[in-house]
Amino acid sequence: MELEKASARLAPRSPWQTVDLGTKLYRQWAAPVLWVWLAFTLVPFGLMLGWSLLAEALWPLFLFWWLKPLWERPLLAWYSHALFAETLTLKQLFQRWRHYALPGLASQLTWRRFSPARSFNTCVWQLEGAKGEQLCQRLRALNSYPSNRAGIMTIVVLHLEQFMAMGLMVLLYTLVPWQFSLEWSDWFYDQGALQMAIASATLYLVMCVTEPLYVACGFALYLNKRTWLEGWDLQLGLTRLGRHRATRTGAGATVLILLGLMLPLPEPVSAQPAPRNEEQQQVIELLASPDYMPFEERTERQWKDRDDDSNSWLEKFWKHFFDNLDDDEQEEPSSRPFDIPDVVLWILFWALFAGLVIWLLTKVMDQLGLGRRHQAPTPVIPTHVAGMDIRRQSLPKNLRQAVEKALAANDIRLALSLMLRSALASLLRRYPVALAAGSTEQQCLRNLKATHGEPLPILYLQRLIQAWISTAWAHRPVDADAVRALLTDWEQINAEEAANA
Amino acid sequence: MTQPTTLAEAARLAQDIEHHLNQVLIGQRQVVREVLIALVSGGHVLIEGVPGLGKTLLVRSLGKVLELDFNRIQFTPDLMPTDVTGHAMYDQKSEQFRIRRGPAFTQLLLADEINRAPAKTQAALLEVMQERQITIEGKAFTLNEPYMVLATQNPLDQEGTYPLPEAELDRFLFKVLIDYPDHADETRLVNMVLDGTIRASLDVESLSPVTDAAGLKAMKALSDSVLIDDEVLDYALRIVRATRDFSGLSHGASPRASIALARASRVQALFEGRDFVTPDDVQQVARPVLRHRIQLSADAEIEGQTPETVLGRLLEQVEAPKQ
Repeated sequence: MELEKASARLAPRSPWQTVDLGTKLYRQWAAPVLWVWLAFTLVPFGLMLGWSLLAEALWPLFLFWWLKPLWERPLLAWYSHALFAETLTLKQLFQRWRHYALPGLASQLTWRRFSPARSFNTCVWQLEGAKGEQLCQRLRALNSYPSNRAGIMTIVVLHLEQFMAMGLMVLLYTLVPWQFSLEWSDWFYDQGALQMAIASATLYLVMCVTEPLYVACGFALYLNKRTWLEGWDLQLGLTRLGRHRATRTGAGATVLILLGLMLPLPEPVSAQPAPRNEEQQQVIELLASPDYMPFEERTERQWKDRDDDSNSWLEKFWKHFFDNLDDDEQEEPSSRPFDIPDVVLWILFWALFAGLVIWLLTKVMDQLGLGRRHQAPTPVIPTHVAGMDIRRQSLPKNLRQAVEKALAANDIRLALSLMLRSALASLLRRYPVALAAGSTEQQCLRNLKATHGEPLPILYLQRLIQAWISTAWAHRPVDADAVRALLTDWEQINAEEAANA
Repeated sequence: MTQPTTLAEAARLAQDIEHHLNQVLIGQRQVVREVLIALVSGGHVLIEGVPGLGKTLLVRSLGKVLELDFNRIQFTPDLMPTDVTGHAMYDQKSEQFRIRRGPAFTQLLLADEINRAPAKTQAALLEVMQERQITIEGKAFTLNEPYMVLATQNPLDQEGTYPLPEAELDRFLFKVLIDYPDHADETRLVNMVLDGTIRASLDVESLSPVTDAAGLKAMKALSDSVLIDDEVLDYALRIVRATRDFSGLSHGASPRASIALARASRVQALFEGRDFVTPDDVQQVARPVLRHRIQLSADAEIEGQTPETVLGRLLEQVEAPKQ
């Protein structure tokens, strides 16, 4: 690999800039890589689609999708040569197929098939040819800091692929003349041969774009990582500098020869001695010092630096709590914001954890219909029925006296209202029933009868409500004697109930 | 023909009409009751239900029992407004323009699948329903009383339909939901068809007229005398007003709904044989009056609520009239 021949500028980039570089590579060579893709995949896709249609099964198409790592290998081979000014022909790609396609393929098609960093790791397998423990070490080294974001790139391209496929299908659907009256959902949910063929062809067309792009981006990430770790940019820079100096040295020598011819020869000087082993060792140690290698890999929780010291007590508490969870070593008591023993913190933690578990269990039991919420609800005594306030404190202490007072004022409606409120307040405590604010007096009666049958007090309520409706809504007030009779009956019922109790 | 003179006679006549209609339309007592209330109230009805539940039979029976003219229009996408109302045509013999009256010139108009016609054709019914007159070539023709439009729509097949505009929906007094009869009623219906008591087709020959337009007019006049207490009227208004700012509703009912609710409550009381309205009467007719006049909010629709469930909650929450 001759870095000087690279057609892209090799410099350390952020992952996003690197993906941009990959996109640029794809755009530059879109046509040739499309031919490479078609040359290696069109026939297999056609065969598998035909097989799928004949067998009326999806698995041949699934097989094509599963073999994507295999289809990506020729693309990577082409990119890796094209970047260094060597264009492979299709014939060469087919001839060399065994060499670049097989390394690491078995694992890529089995347990590493769903690796999100496939595009990056393929480069290691294919371009470096490492195996076994050496491969693992290499992958660990290349996947160390800074992260290459190959996983995120895979997720983005996967979504892009799906959205483009769906968009293409929608486009096709919109182009179908309306006379065909196609059902929209058929295109996505039906398993008919036509739908399968169209969906597969759509996905394949989209892959013609996304696969070369995906491989290019993965390759760019790989190049970037090696540039970071191996200082390719420095190497290139030093090479260029060396050439420049060599050129300048050549010109200087000519001048010196000319001067030498004109001037007396100087004192002989000794040549620069070759560096000794000790010096080499010093150089290696110097390069390994923190000044030259500022990167280190650490995994720990750390609180964000705050300019002010205005953390709330809760923040301090949690900070202390988590610091204790992190560190096995005991801190100096003076450095703690609160002097809380660790055992208390652990008890608190487990209490919170247990509370959370109980709360979740309660929710699950409620969902399964086993919780308390699903037990038969106890009817709640309403405070208002048919707009009437039936709370005890709203009722007169002496009902007869209040009713007589209303009758004396010839206010039959008020008298009946008082009696009705009193009767409802009493009956709904004795015979609980579910009622809403909008329940009318007749609904109240119907619900009472439906729930508790027709005992004497409920039959009394029926008579009272009839009198109330006649007075209030029909404007035909019952006479005062009838009201007094109803009141007497109510007192008798109450007396009997009290005696029975 | 029977013409009631008192509220009691009117109630008996109403029960008689109901009885006759229920003999033909089996298992749809509530629908029959609501359509009759709308007819006596002088309103129009939007009937929603799947095909095959007897909507046409109901209207034909109504026409026969009440001796009213009956016309049916099948609404289609290419139906023109003049196909409904009529138009002026040039008569070559007399060399004059002649008015050709459309099917809307009747007393009972069945507008079958009204939402299959475009908005301009639906709008042709606006004047008919509200003003009970039809204007052709600038000349207004008053329609005979009583006049009722019974429009139907299918809740399932919505493709290629034109939803009714709110202005037109508001002109329907009731929206009646017609559902499948229960098991016992369906068994009775099938047995009656099998033993020849009734025929499977739209057989209304067995029905005899009970009253006529004059009797219906008398019933309507008597319903106007049904007493509605201020508290009960206030309750009806509170129900309608509650729809305007109730959770789950983005659009409430108009004052026309308040009028409709009060009027229908009176007729409901009449049908119950009472000369006064109770809060239960209001509740009884609140759903058919309001269900087509409210619009669910997006949240409520996403939660799967229906106008029926929201109205159920509303009726539970609006306090019944106080003492």
